[in-house]
Amino acid sequence: MKAKIIKKKDILDRLINGYEVFAPVERDGLILFETIGSGSEALLGYQSSKMPPKGILFPQSETLFSYSSTKDTANIGVPPGLEKPRLIFGIRPCDAMSFRLLDKVFDGECKDPYYINRRATTVVVSVGCTTSRASCFCTAVGGGPFSAEGSDLLLIDIGDEYVVQIVSDKGARLLEERGFEDAGEDKLALVPEVIKAAEASMEPGVEIYGLKEKLDNRFDDPIWQQLTEKCLGCGVCTYLCPTCYCFDIVDEVVGSGGERIRIWDSCQFPLFTLQASGVNPRPTVRERFRQRIMHKFSYFVDVYDQIGCVGCGRCVTECPVNLDIRQVLNSIAQLEVVK
Amino acid sequence: MPELTNKIKEVARNLLQQKKVDLVIGFERGTMPSYSTPCFVRQDEEVDRLIWDSFCENNLAKYLVKRSEKVAIVAKGCDVRAVVELIKENQIRRDQVVIIGIPCQGMVDRRMVESALERKEIREVKEKHGELIIEGDDFKEVLNRDEFLYPSCKTCTHRNPVIYDVLVGDAITELDTDSYLDVEQFEALPAEERGEYLSKEFSKCIRCYACRNACPLCYCQECFVDSSKPQWIGKTTDASDTAIFHIMRAFHLAGRCVDCGACERACPMGVDIRKLNRKLVRDVKEWFGYEAGLSLEQVAPLSTFKPGDTEEFMLNP
Amino acid sequence: MRIEKVVVETDDRDIKTFSLSFVNKEDEANFNYIPGQFAELSVFGKGEAPFGMASSPTQLECLEFTVSKVGVVTTALHNMQVGGMVGIRGPLGNGYPLEALKGKNIVMIGGGFGFSTLRALTNFVLDETNRHSFGDITIIYGARRPGLLLYKDDLEKWRNEADLHLHLTVDYGDEEWTGRVGFVPQITREVAPSSENAYALICGPPAMIKFTLPVVNELGFPLERTLLSLEMKMKCGIGMCGRCNIGSKYVCRDGPVFSCTEILGFISEQL
Repeated sequence: MKAKIIKKKDILDRLINGYEVFAPVERDGLILFETIGSGSEALLGYQSSKMPPKGILFPQSETLFSYSSTKDTANIGVPPGLEKPRLIFGIRPCDAMSFRLLDKVFDGECKDPYYINRRATTVVVSVGCTTSRASCFCTAVGGGPFSAEGSDLLLIDIGDEYVVQIVSDKGARLLEERGFEDAGEDKLALVPEVIKAAEASMEPGVEIYGLKEKLDNRFDDPIWQQLTEKCLGCGVCTYLCPTCYCFDIVDEVVGSGGERIRIWDSCQFPLFTLQASGVNPRPTVRERFRQRIMHKFSYFVDVYDQIGCVGCGRCVTECPVNLDIRQVLNSIAQLEVVK
Repeated sequence: MPELTNKIKEVARNLLQQKKVDLVIGFERGTMPSYSTPCFVRQDEEVDRLIWDSFCENNLAKYLVKRSEKVAIVAKGCDVRAVVELIKENQIRRDQVVIIGIPCQGMVDRRMVESALERKEIREVKEKHGELIIEGDDFKEVLNRDEFLYPSCKTCTHRNPVIYDVLVGDAITELDTDSYLDVEQFEALPAEERGEYLSKEFSKCIRCYACRNACPLCYCQECFVDSSKPQWIGKTTDASDTAIFHIMRAFHLAGRCVDCGACERACPMGVDIRKLNRKLVRDVKEWFGYEAGLSLEQVAPLSTFKPGDTEEFMLNP
Repeated sequence: MRIEKVVVETDDRDIKTFSLSFVNKEDEANFNYIPGQFAELSVFGKGEAPFGMASSPTQLECLEFTVSKVGVVTTALHNMQVGGMVGIRGPLGNGYPLEALKGKNIVMIGGGFGFSTLRALTNFVLDETNRHSFGDITIIYGARRPGLLLYKDDLEKWRNEADLHLHLTVDYGDEEWTGRVGFVPQITREVAPSSENAYALICGPPAMIKFTLPVVNELGFPLERTLLSLEMKMKCGIGMCGRCNIGSKYVCRDGPVFSCTEILGFISEQL
């Protein structure tokens, strides 16, 4: 199917019908993905949202099942799947790529029905980046300002209009349903320049090639103590990261029944690996911070064959002490492999 | 502020060369414009990394706890008061710390600047004579630094370090502010409005604990949120659990919080955390005549009891 | 599942073995496990926690789990009586590589609470349908003191088994104790089991594993025939929640049983 075209001011209103639409909105000075009632509520010219959109597919707090029990039996109730299909509008290619990575975890060998149901019922419309932030490094981790990975439709901003690139069947079906116009050759001709300019503006500031070998080789290197000395050990990087997915499972009691709830957790918290015996294999920030880096740039590659980071830069801009992941990676990259 | 930067480097160099300390904790340039970051210097060759500017916003007292070596710390007025409290709480000995005190003109609120620039990407920031000269891809703006300070800096009444071993820079005049006007104004609102405001603020909280971890006075080995026997609060983002987290943390800091604002600055979601802390700071001042961090001799009121202590909370519910 | 029996294993009453029976026969038919695997037991309102299978699949009536009282779920379990109901999710994990162990002598080195899955394996191997498939069994099992030794009934039975060499040890003896006194690595060195045609299976606290590995190495056990049953804090049990990894291996999914060849590169974080 050919690429389509639509005026920026019209697109949301054309898509909204029949969907629960999540779009970037400004609330209390923050840019967040929230449900909108009409197109005018969305903020189209934003660069990066505060919270990543992972919460739409993988909520911070999610009831796995509820139970009510008597002395001899327990009744389990599983929450229903999504009632209305969802549409995520306007996420950046880095965030769309994160869905690819989350798919590998939740829809891999072991299937997570909660995530899978949401993912299947959600259309992802991402918008490419015409400029980049000082914190962006998607191109260093296999992404790009106009990468279509994880999207169903990719919007390319050519001024007043978007060229709509069809990425998946789900996306194609939606456009057919909504009767979008084909893009003319003159408009399509503008696209390569837009993409080129965006890619040229990228200054990722980090080199990933050859990094995994060094990370594996230098696991015990004293440099880790130095690199992590200022880390506070909070959970900002993990909670704001589009690809961090570690979770905890807790029981909450309600009367004689209750719920089993899955909640976001962070490998940066001291209790993450604290065993009941009191032993903690990761007792200080040094081990915990190292785990995050190793997981994203080595272990995830081993298990899922892709770097577990999309270069969105949120951990860079939001870390309270400016512990820049790129600086950490560059420090390791400068080391030699020790036999 | 190049003169102050040079002075700090000089002091640090001398301390390290004379082996008076093993470590100097200060600030260095961050990886993005408008970011400065904590810096740990152990060799005098590294001293040139140290800087001083309007983005040195972290409370470095955080890094003093559980150290066995002798440490010098670059400390603003609020940071110094945190150091005083830590010394009183036996988290570090007075003779272990060399306080490099700096009278502080306040730190610039980066998010306020970003907002004023309508989120246009900042590529470079320069400071000169109380002005911030900010450049982006297709703009250049000059802002008056004093209009963009953090809320905690605007209400600060102790910009000059109350104790120090070395003073970098000249003493500055303290701000003439009625510091607790904001508390009084909030207290005067009807309960419903106060409840609504606080609920709205707490609904933004994602329980990342950046506030707790940035706070130098939150140094408990096991925080109450992590206790399972008994479990004090749930771990989900349930509204009442989140509210209780903030309320309990504020109470644990009562009489100890120096209102440095590190919590507010660390919070990625812009939660008005200090609303509760300032109320307790004001109450402690009113009821016990005590402000945290002003003196090494004054005992924190909640660690002691005097016969004249107010008991209104017990007797006049 | 229903609690059918509770045995207090230790004199401080902190470790109990629970025998559980399935309420639905279907569930029982579907729960096929091997020694070395684990399951997640649920106490509603308290939570879920992983426990190694302490029973052998050759024991048909019940599943057994040995539970140490340390936290919320385990305390709740300890407070339950016969007849109480718990939930189960499993079997999880990889279990001991039974095919590889066939025809080999098995040297089991266990410390403290870690001995549960080795007990399961021992009972499995001793079962008349399996005995001929495996070689000699050597067991070196240590506890901090005599009152903390688990499975005292099994230990008695095993003394009478042919081709089973049982070596018990305690860190600290008492007036009645006539057996060996010494830490497990040291006793392993003294017993010096032969590595010929044998596998060494080590299960216990990290400190014990750390000091036993070099001993086992010296005795000639190659890395691929040295198996460890490791432990990390677990939650989901299916390799998804991200917390139990040792390097790129998830203990719940790729383990808990690992050969040293698989895991030695990553183990420094553990030991």
